[in-house]
Amino acid sequence: MTEFFSMGGFGIFIWSAMGIALALMILEPVSLIMKRRSVIKQIKRTKRLDARRKQN
Amino acid sequence: MKINWFKYSAPMSFYPLAGKLIPLFWIAAIMLILGGLYWGFFKTADILNDQKQYYRIIYVHVASAWMAMWLYAVMVFWAMLGLIFNTRLSYMLASATAVTGTVMTIIALATGAIWGKTSWGTYWDWDPKLTTFLILLFVYIGYIALQSAIDDVRRSDKASALLALVGLALVPIIYYAVNCPDPTQCASLHQESSLKRVESNILIGMLVTTLGFWMYSFATTLMRARIIVLERERSTTWVSNLPEISLAETSNSKIEARTETRS
Repeated sequence: MTEFFSMGGFGIFIWSAMGIALALMILEPVSLIMKRRSVIKQIKRTKRLDARRKQN
Repeated sequence: MKINWFKYSAPMSFYPLAGKLIPLFWIAAIMLILGGLYWGFFKTADILNDQKQYYRIIYVHVASAWMAMWLYAVMVFWAMLGLIFNTRLSYMLASATAVTGTVMTIIALATGAIWGKTSWGTYWDWDPKLTTFLILLFVYIGYIALQSAIDDVRRSDKASALLALVGLALVPIIYYAVNCPDPTQCASLHQESSLKRVESNILIGMLVTTLGFWMYSFATTLMRARIIVLERERSTTWVSNLPEISLAETSNSKIEARTETRS
């Protein structure tokens, strides 16, 4: 197992390269999910305000 | 059968279709990337030509570098379609592609630097391939910056589409930066990008992860395009009628429905 992770002494290079790719490829969709939530929240808020204005 | 392609150029029909496709692209992406990496780490030799195990960076490096260039071409395709047909959705897809392209360029540069340290002994060199790839990153960032700098959506779409079009010249330059016809004229540290030089066993892992990265690009681009559609079409009735925009809280409406039946 340790032999696998050491990658013949190049483990730190290989795993940091994989780690950077993984981190960015998780960060991107997570930020998209958060952005989508905030946009939906905003649109709902305007919609609610419009509905209230119509009632009055 | 005649397909009306323009039907899906309307954001209203694109939005639900993309919503259905995104989970499929995610499943494909995760399966292909994990499969490709499994193959690459467990089913291939420890040595490639004169390179030791560090060559395994190839699986993410090549996949992301190819995607970075391919997504640039895709972005220009949508930008051009927007300029020719003046369809709103094309511009939205162009700007949705740009950010994923930027992410891929950063991954390619970072993994390339790490690979360079092990293989050439340096993280960075002003080699033609590396330099042109860095410029690609700047063009991507420039495209995004230009788009956010102009408030008027139509004008920012057109201006950034033109910038994307001009930057297209980079893609062949990046390619020929290493595959130059006369080796005495360009001393490049970066290996020639020739598939023939890669062992077929390693090539399988590389191609499978690349396909996975492609599916990932589809998924994130569609996710971003849907957000852009929502933002730009927010004042339309179809957006207002979407279930996710519905004001009635599901839990509340359930309670109301229950109390109604009781009384």
